[in-house]
Amino acid sequence: MRAPLVQRTAMPGLGLSAGITFFMLTLVVALPIGALLWQGANFGLSNIWATINRDRVWAALWLSFRLSFLAACFNLVFGVILAWVLVRYRFPGRRIIDAAVDLPFALPTAVAGIALTALYAPNGVLGGLTNQIGWQIAYTQWGIFLALVFVGLPFVTRTVQPVIEEIETEVEEASATLGASRWHTLRHVIAPMLMPAALTGFALSLARAVGEYGSVIFIAGNIPLRTEIAPLLIVIQLEEYNYGAAGAIGLAMLAISFTMLLFINLIQIWSRRRIGHV
Amino acid sequence: MTAFRFIPLSLALLVLAPAAQAQSLLNVSYDPTRELYREFNEAFAAHRVEQGLEAPVIETSHGGSGAQARSVIDGLAAQVVTLALASDIDQIATTGKLPTDWQSKLPHNSSPYTSTIVFLVRDGNPKGIQDWGDLTAEGVEVITPNPKTSGGARWNYLAAWAWAEANDRDPAEFVGQLFANVPVLDTGARGSTTTFAQRGIGDVLLAWENEAYLALAELGEDQFDIVVPSLSILAEPPVALVEGNIADDAQRELATAYLDFLYTPEGQALAFKHYYRAWDASAADPEDVARFPELDLVSIDDLGGWAKLQPEHFGDGGIFDQIYVAP
Repeated sequence: MRAPLVQRTAMPGLGLSAGITFFMLTLVVALPIGALLWQGANFGLSNIWATINRDRVWAALWLSFRLSFLAACFNLVFGVILAWVLVRYRFPGRRIIDAAVDLPFALPTAVAGIALTALYAPNGVLGGLTNQIGWQIAYTQWGIFLALVFVGLPFVTRTVQPVIEEIETEVEEASATLGASRWHTLRHVIAPMLMPAALTGFALSLARAVGEYGSVIFIAGNIPLRTEIAPLLIVIQLEEYNYGAAGAIGLAMLAISFTMLLFINLIQIWSRRRIGHV
Repeated sequence: MTAFRFIPLSLALLVLAPAAQAQSLLNVSYDPTRELYREFNEAFAAHRVEQGLEAPVIETSHGGSGAQARSVIDGLAAQVVTLALASDIDQIATTGKLPTDWQSKLPHNSSPYTSTIVFLVRDGNPKGIQDWGDLTAEGVEVITPNPKTSGGARWNYLAAWAWAEANDRDPAEFVGQLFANVPVLDTGARGSTTTFAQRGIGDVLLAWENEAYLALAELGEDQFDIVVPSLSILAEPPVALVEGNIADDAQRELATAYLDFLYTPEGQALAFKHYYRAWDASAADPEDVARFPELDLVSIDDLGGWAKLQPEHFGDGGIFDQIYVAP
């Protein structure tokens, strides 16, 4: 028989699990990012700036971040609505849709890109229809937007879903009995509770879109200054064996992403404080 | 609970690739040779067995030529590389994995088969495209991959350049006009073929001759025509043995035999069959050989060689960047 151990913390084995976690994080996250920074340091600040400060690079960065932001905004709205519908309503095929939400996670991004392109190309089923009204989707910025929405949507839905499940219908009923309108209840009761999770989903969707390569590359058209995404510029530099320049653009993306995510975190902290702990 | 103990072990086994056997070879190649090497590897294995040797395990990896070269530079243990551009193998040579004079080791500049750049147009050639000069006409949409990411596209670009030089046109201006007619720049040759053939974009696809024939064979002869321009480029996709990745003498013998087999009548016949222009037609199906029309072919050496062309045209800020990005 074993002697009972003295537990100093509520969690057993905290030291060990934290050690393993930090070790793995170092191995798969910190080291690669460190290598990128190290490469940037070797390349030199002036070289990094010279690589980034070109019309074509700015255009690609602006395109990537702008469309990622718009796609994340779209996903925020429709991801929340989708989660709401899946949790609150019972209808035939609900389970299938629920399972299908994860599909963009499971699908190789290149397959998604090829499927989307086939669908939205001018001779595709949907692209044919939109082209008739003069709206081309594939090989334009619309195509990139569509691909980014596709890969980012599950992030919002999956982070918001459990929170909606937690919200008791009694809360809404209480709000209603106190005389609030449906809109008032939605704005002042439901929205604040969803806010932190929705913002997390937004940030994840944004982060995924910024770095997305496989699904975008087939539908984008890749024309410099118009439909060329920043990750493609990195690949182009690698193709030239310019590891330094590729790292420089990578660092620029990292810096912009970090700033954006920091900003979103600040909003999250602010919204948490405003509504208290949920 | 005990079953879970084996999880880390089995995960480790899943992650680590099975150890290489004695008689195995990895051929790192580029995209359009997929079909060729599938058949060639079988023929080579059969050839070894006929000689009373053990059947070798030949693995082939395909991808963009530059990406494949980078993998080998970064440590992918390929004993044999069969890439789209000599400059990609030159880049591997700078790491010391193979001698810098690798291209003189095998016949014909180490290129057992060659190809050229031709035009694939829609059935009946509705835009009447006959030669390079027609590609810059108003309203003609040209599909080619991006020369910055695709080895094949560099041949396209240089073929257009060579034609302009031969026809007293300003080559930079001509190539600039040609690329201004490109609505979609895919990252690789296969992507461009898909865009043109399956998505219905563009009037003409600039393609490796072997890719054009393959598209014709797979997607229907009634849909496309091949147009051969008056002048094109002699595309020499070279092969080399990667000295630094050879484990022992047995493997060197196997890799050498593999590359030599490309030059045998049987290997050459397979190259012809897969729409490459090869050197020795003695064992080839006459129909496969008769397919290739005569045309003026300019070689890379005529234009100055890869060592000069690569940085001058496709390097950062090179001629392609200037003519294409500058408004």
